[in-house]
Amino acid sequence: MFSENARKELEAILKKYPNKRSAVMDALRVAQNEGAGHITKADMEEISRVLEMPANEVHAAATFYTMYRVNKPVGKYHIQVCANISCSLMGADHIIKHMENVLRIKTGETTPDSKYTLSTVECLGSCGTAPMMQVNDDYYENLDEKKIDELLGRLK
Amino acid sequence: MEKVLLKNYGKPDSHKIENYILSGGYKGLEAAVKLKPDSLIQLIKDSGLRGRGGAGFSTGLKWSFIPKDPTIPKFLCCNADEGEPGTFKDRGIIDHDPHLLIEGMIITSYAIGASNAYIYIRGEFVFGTNRLQVAIDEAYAKGYLGKNIMGSGFNLDMYIHRGFGAYICGEETALLESIEGYRAQPRKKPPFPALAGLYAKPTVINNVETLSCIPSIVEKGAEWFSKIGAPKSPGPKIYCVSGHVKKPGLYELPMGTTVRDLIFNHCGGMLHEGRALKAVIPGGVSAPLLTPKDLDTPLDFDSLAAKGSMLGSGAVIVMDQTTCMVKSAHIVTRFFSHESCGKCTPCRDGTPWLTRVLGRIEHGEGKPGDVELLESLCTNIFGRTFCPLGDGAVMALRGFVKNFRDEFQFHIDYKRCMVS
Amino acid sequence: MATVKINGIELQVEDNTLILDAARKAGFEIPTFCYQADLMGIGSCRMCLVEIEGQKKLQPSCVTPVLHGMSINTETPTVMSARASMLEFLLANHAMDCPVCDKGGECELQDMVHKYGPRKGRHADAKFKFHEKDYALSPVIIKNSNRCVNCMKCVRVCREVVGRNVLTALNRGDHQEATSFMRTFLDCDHDGNCIEVCPVGCFMRLPYRYKTRPWDLKGVDTICTYCATGCRMVIEHRDGTVVRARAQMGVGINSETLCARGRFGYDIMNDDGRVKTPMIKKSRTGGLEPASWEEAIAFIKDNLATVDGEKLGGIISPRSTNEEAYLFQKLIRTIFKSPNIDSSVRFKADAVEGFVKATGMDEGGASIFDCMEADTVLIIGAHLSDENPVTDYIVRRISGSRRMNLIITSPRAMKLDSSASVVLRHLPATEGALLDAIILNLNADKIVGSEALTALKDTKLEAVLAEAGVDAETVKLISNKIAGSASVGIIAGTDFLRSPEGLPPLGLLRELLKATGKKLTVVPVLDRCNQRGVWEMGGHPNFGPGYSAVKAKGMGTEAMLDAAHSGGLEALYIAGADLVTLAEDEDFVKRALSKVGFLVVQDTFMTETARLANVVLPGVSTGEKDGMFTNQEGRAQVIKKLLPPPGKAKKDIDIIRAVGEAFERSFGPKNPALVLDEIRKEIGMYSEVSLTFKNKRNPDNELDNKAALVKGTHSDLKIGSWPRRHVAADPAFPFILTTGNQLFHSGRLSRRSEILTSLSKGAEVEISESDATALGLKAGDKVRVKGARYEAVVSLKTKKGSKPGVAFIAENYNEAPVNRFFKKGEGLPRVSITKAL
Repeated sequence: MFSENARKELEAILKKYPNKRSAVMDALRVAQNEGAGHITKADMEEISRVLEMPANEVHAAATFYTMYRVNKPVGKYHIQVCANISCSLMGADHIIKHMENVLRIKTGETTPDSKYTLSTVECLGSCGTAPMMQVNDDYYENLDEKKIDELLGRLK
Repeated sequence: MEKVLLKNYGKPDSHKIENYILSGGYKGLEAAVKLKPDSLIQLIKDSGLRGRGGAGFSTGLKWSFIPKDPTIPKFLCCNADEGEPGTFKDRGIIDHDPHLLIEGMIITSYAIGASNAYIYIRGEFVFGTNRLQVAIDEAYAKGYLGKNIMGSGFNLDMYIHRGFGAYICGEETALLESIEGYRAQPRKKPPFPALAGLYAKPTVINNVETLSCIPSIVEKGAEWFSKIGAPKSPGPKIYCVSGHVKKPGLYELPMGTTVRDLIFNHCGGMLHEGRALKAVIPGGVSAPLLTPKDLDTPLDFDSLAAKGSMLGSGAVIVMDQTTCMVKSAHIVTRFFSHESCGKCTPCRDGTPWLTRVLGRIEHGEGKPGDVELLESLCTNIFGRTFCPLGDGAVMALRGFVKNFRDEFQFHIDYKRCMVS
Repeated sequence: MATVKINGIELQVEDNTLILDAARKAGFEIPTFCYQADLMGIGSCRMCLVEIEGQKKLQPSCVTPVLHGMSINTETPTVMSARASMLEFLLANHAMDCPVCDKGGECELQDMVHKYGPRKGRHADAKFKFHEKDYALSPVIIKNSNRCVNCMKCVRVCREVVGRNVLTALNRGDHQEATSFMRTFLDCDHDGNCIEVCPVGCFMRLPYRYKTRPWDLKGVDTICTYCATGCRMVIEHRDGTVVRARAQMGVGINSETLCARGRFGYDIMNDDGRVKTPMIKKSRTGGLEPASWEEAIAFIKDNLATVDGEKLGGIISPRSTNEEAYLFQKLIRTIFKSPNIDSSVRFKADAVEGFVKATGMDEGGASIFDCMEADTVLIIGAHLSDENPVTDYIVRRISGSRRMNLIITSPRAMKLDSSASVVLRHLPATEGALLDAIILNLNADKIVGSEALTALKDTKLEAVLAEAGVDAETVKLISNKIAGSASVGIIAGTDFLRSPEGLPPLGLLRELLKATGKKLTVVPVLDRCNQRGVWEMGGHPNFGPGYSAVKAKGMGTEAMLDAAHSGGLEALYIAGADLVTLAEDEDFVKRALSKVGFLVVQDTFMTETARLANVVLPGVSTGEKDGMFTNQEGRAQVIKKLLPPPGKAKKDIDIIRAVGEAFERSFGPKNPALVLDEIRKEIGMYSEVSLTFKNKRNPDNELDNKAALVKGTHSDLKIGSWPRRHVAADPAFPFILTTGNQLFHSGRLSRRSEILTSLSKGAEVEISESDATALGLKAGDKVRVKGARYEAVVSLKTKKGSKPGVAFIAENYNEAPVNRFFKKGEGLPRVSITKAL
């Protein structure tokens, strides 16, 4: 459910567009940020009410774009390692394996303490600094084992 | 060559409006609002600027399709949904020189009569989104956006629309669907966006790099621009170099720089001494790869097309001799099937099939006839999909299979990789 | 016109014709999955790719219009290989569980693979599975997404035609799945149009599941009996059990669509509670006992032989065929020499005459498609979305596909509102005041037309606006839209029959629009399947066959009941109408009927009315006879027999004739074909009407078979004068109660359908959301509806955007008989609504 701040943010978003429906992507993003990094049925129902569009169409939009996580909670740190071509050429496989070893989870899993979720993603547009990954909103580039270990040390 | 697009890239606080203005920014806008919109469109036509998103269509011509009726609302959409693997140039401009883009967009909106402009930026670019929003706010504060811009009587509002993980939004009609709050599946054309685009109103959709060329064309003239680089696709071009080179990164060079010059001169050659260059993808993963024999091909729209490949987004991905082509083909094809929107049959059901077969071959489970199966599926997909995404998948894969067929066959015959 | 070449054959087609249609015209079939004539083209399945000379890529013929001079090839090796490849792709992602799939044998994917497919499948890898078990989306819809071909017709028909928009595609790529919100149970119209348009076994009928193979079905192509829209449908049985009703693509005005009643109400034909033998009540005190037909007919003859025609009446159901109605009125008028015949239980005879005149039914058939061609269409007095769902679909589809003004005026909000350019909520039974206001606006400057129209100038606009409870601005807007249109369509519904005060202004509006040179099309909408036909056969006290004049007006249902109540009706013959549950004031009706000297009831079920009869004659249901119906537009259509009558039940037309023959041996004609001949001869309106079924939509996508429309005639019917009844405000009873049909039912007949009853939520009272909020009530609450005469406890239903102060209870509930709230001769009753304890 939307907090007061989220509602205000949504109001500002609605001003960008000539119709309410256009705000659905932003509304879903706000809901995801508000929730534990994922979107629930109740969130979509509320968005449906606020934007006056059918709930099924909110759900349809939410499942089209891969960054929305419908009923799929993630850990405090969502680590997304790029596995596309440039990163792969520069050793993404190795980075992913190292991550799995350090975090003791497989790709797609969350650590039992709900701290880290490890995923692979398609190209994040940072190919000149491959291999790279995104942790929550931030990019980490030119990765190697040492950098990763240091970073994980910082992400408590 | 004097840099145009990356001239502020890497300078301290280059994203701030004061620094942008100090470096000569918003001069183009000042000049533009003194011109009639029609003259402005003619100027861009004369410059020979071709869209940097991949298709290479004449930008001025695209603008000229917008109806002149002042009572019809019009929109400008900036395509900043940079997602073609290997590409990171738009992000470079947005992160380091957002005002260059904003200025280009204001001039474009003035030329086509748009009073609302949207920047469709991919969701992962959180840093860039924040930078851009700050820059937009700065531009409002300075009177470059909002009402009566620079006393011209022209009004413009500019907004950011964040994507959230869909490569297909780079396709212009899918991008429009996405802004309207729908699933981003491409629309059928006609009607073309110039007549019925965003909210069914006339709309121009231009790439970040394209729009960033505009201020300097206005400032320095069409002739200046048309004399840079290749005659038929003039202007500066940002090449995004990644993979096995010493100095990967963004390179702004005249359009038509050769592959050899780019890799061995500008980028310092191959990453590992003693490893030979095996293949180069010259324009993002949709572009069929080139082999060492093609190193002297100029990187421009027409020269690459003549070689059966394309300039695309200008993303140059370099692979050395240790690269497994089956694995690379699998990664590239998997990307397309992951990003297929699901609308049309051949792309939706064909690209995952290709991926499955490639995965099988890569993991030593290939069967005799699989290479022929891949080729046949490519034939069945190519030219039959709703939008170019499926064609992109096929062109890429065909490049791999055509040039490295023996590697695929080796994987099938010996259940292991030929190079590692 | 454009000249094009298709596979070398040159032909001329209209500009902008789709290549697909041009090819069909030239005789070449192009296979498709996602194309459907009535839906917006999406060009996504790629089955219809063709070669256009001079173009490098194959083009989708379903979204590409022809250009003059185009040369198109639809059967080259490239095209054929493209088709085969699309099928191979679809199969690569298909469940391939044909042996257990209900669609097997009539699956478009199977058929197309058979015709165009690759002979050998090459896909050898694991497939993505959406789910293990099929899942239900509704009591009537079950889903298997593993079979989906992604044509999205389900999503599109739900959005573009039905207007519910409860289905969408989720996810993307090969994980794309057309389904409901979170795959949850749907709160929708349950019409199953998603099932009908599904080319494969993805959307399926739940009640039909695993019941049969399609090739074991026997069916007939007939007309739906649940409202007067007149939808063509095929009903099918296996071994005598009806298991399915379905629409046919491009056939009938409804094309592929049906509503829930039509598609799922077929199970009443399997109801075992039928009257299967004649019954007679030998003594006043005794009960009904089984008898032979000979005994029953002789019993009728004995009791009716001496009855004075003036003291005898006949009432025939508006669900009867034209042949039955014609013969029945002939029986009443010529054998019994009685002028007393009616076919409406709920509507006053004079109101019907006025309605016929005001809507111009006597001027001949008026196609809904012609009506929807108008610049402005006004819907008034009709709750189309609930009462005539497929008419609602037609209006939505056409209004969504062209530029026009759709104006909806109604007290209650309806689904169709979202398609309208103007929506106006007025108070119940004030259609007249509203029309007055529109006329005054239209005619403000100069009064033209008849005396009555001129007389209106003394009416004060403010007064009629207040009476209707509407704002001046919206009415002005509506009037301006009408004034600015060269052509106007009016869709007028049964509320005019319930409150005939609206009829004179409706007549005046027609007169005014005609006088101002506008092209006008009026389509009446009715709720009983053959109401119009039965009227046109002369099933009415005020007019004879073809709206001909009668020597003297007879008694209508209401007058007959009054006469009976005062002991003045010696005999009454009711064919198929359940008066007790339908006429206003149930207790009065029961008392009246029990005072009728001799009551003959002919029906399929032992209804409340039949229980009061001296003789019960077992008739047949519509699936057990052949005959003609005339729908609300005046379109004559044929119904066909699917099953034999149960037990000793007889076709109604044979019963009517047998009764007639008992009195006069020559009574006839002797068989239905001859009755039809006599109808054509006697009733000019029907002399040339075409009863040939078009079995396929013609290449121009024409659903509108104009040859089936009845002709106009000259009648001297009168609209009559109807003084306004004012429903006085009463703080003790703040709501005005209205009635009509609800979405899943038609009268009480459909209550016998178990499937339909499972879809409707039981007895409900509907009020506006704002009223509910003010009363502290919410949807689903049990509430007490209290009137001066009757009270009932029902669930509350709320509707956003309905007129405050209006309550609605459908006429379909046995558990809350709404007619008990009404008092004969009075206007709409007032009620209070409170939370039931």
